[in-house]
Amino acid sequence: MSDETKSCSTETGTEPTAARSQLPMWILVVLLTLLYLGGIYFDHHSGWFDQQVYSPFANAAVLEAYQPKSGAAAALAAGRKSYEAVCGTCHGNDGLGKPGQAPQLAGSEWVIAKGYNRLAHIPLAGISGPIQVAGKDWNMAMAAMGAALSDADLANVLTYIRGSWGNKAGEVTADEIKAIRAGIGRPQTLSLEQLNALPE
Amino acid sequence: MKNGFVIFLAGFAVLVTSWGAFVLGPQLQLGRAKQVPILNSTDVYPINRPGEAAQGLQVYRANGCAACHTEQVQQDGVACEVVLASAGKNPAVVSNLLSTLKLNGLTEEEAQAAVDKITAAGGKVETHIVATGPDIARGWGLRHSVAEDFLYDFPVQPGSVRIGPDLAGVGSRSPGANVVLQHLYAPKSVVKDSAMPPFRYLFEVRKIGGAFSPDALNLPKEFAPAAGYEVVPKPEAKHLAAYLLSLHADVPLYDAPFTPAATAKP
Repeated sequence: MSDETKSCSTETGTEPTAARSQLPMWILVVLLTLLYLGGIYFDHHSGWFDQQVYSPFANAAVLEAYQPKSGAAAALAAGRKSYEAVCGTCHGNDGLGKPGQAPQLAGSEWVIAKGYNRLAHIPLAGISGPIQVAGKDWNMAMAAMGAALSDADLANVLTYIRGSWGNKAGEVTADEIKAIRAGIGRPQTLSLEQLNALPE
Repeated sequence: MKNGFVIFLAGFAVLVTSWGAFVLGPQLQLGRAKQVPILNSTDVYPINRPGEAAQGLQVYRANGCAACHTEQVQQDGVACEVVLASAGKNPAVVSNLLSTLKLNGLTEEEAQAAVDKITAAGGKVETHIVATGPDIARGWGLRHSVAEDFLYDFPVQPGSVRIGPDLAGVGSRSPGANVVLQHLYAPKSVVKDSAMPPFRYLFEVRKIGGAFSPDALNLPKEFAPAAGYEVVPKPEAKHLAAYLLSLHADVPLYDAPFTPAATAKP
């Protein structure tokens, strides 16, 4: 036996080797097809790893499209957005105001008043001088911060502050804001007496 | 081992990839989750569970409730419903239009088209967003579960097997603590065909002393203890009931929008 083996190896002279051969084309095609299908599945179902996107929403754009667009929910959501961008810096995102900057809106008698004519005048015209808010005395000036907002935006903001942080006053409509804005004309900063002279 | 370094690199790459996918990825995705605003109100969600309920989570975990109950509602789809708010100046035209239009089960684009048509006719409409799917049809929740539902729970108990019903919104549909406690002591006294084992060791059967304990369960006859005895929940049972009643995963959020049935007017 040992002789035979020896003779066999001496005959060929080398150890067996595997030659390099070309990758079969069908494997390449199958792999690329799977990769392509996987890519499509990923695009449809991953939401691109956005933490807010869950199934059945395909991506952030679809999720955004299904947010409420009408009714009280939409008004509150839009109002919150504008409030936090424009008013929240001084009045606080929690509506509690900031000492030395702006009075609180939560529980403020100016905000929760039955009519909102006086309230709407404050952001549209601005206010300065002494004023009492929720039992505290303030003596500062506020520019007409709301004059740059559209009627609908300002109405949403006022609806938001009148319905938030425990406030339970009614909705404000864009048409009313339009009328009030037209009545003011050129904004002129109001004093407490001028504000009190307005109908409620 | 002439390829030792290559083998080491390959093994290292495998470990790093799986660590990246299962630890780093989720951390980057959800690690900074925080309280989020509720859509139809000015409140935030979730609030931390009250103390008893937080302890109840540990009782829930210790008794292996998550082996048979899930806390994750699944949602298959989302649809829009167009609801007439007011008919406007010519109600006849609007009502004719309404009868020709499909108003339920619409996609967002179809709903917008319907809203445009009705608004053009002078009517005023609202679009409601509705989550759909078998779990929602069963009344287990109003939307799919999101990471925020578990924000203050550690360890989270999402569960994966449903021998019992999903509990993500059980606090909203349960009649109250008394029924939950009775269910824990004698499941079949509340749900006739319940497969749930009774958790009697969370309760104490004791002789009635001077007067009834105010906590004693009010059991039907066939489940009641012998005359002169009463069933009183131990603290664990009360904590577990408080935890179950604190499960309210059914508020609309940005990541899970829907229109609640009755929107509270401000």
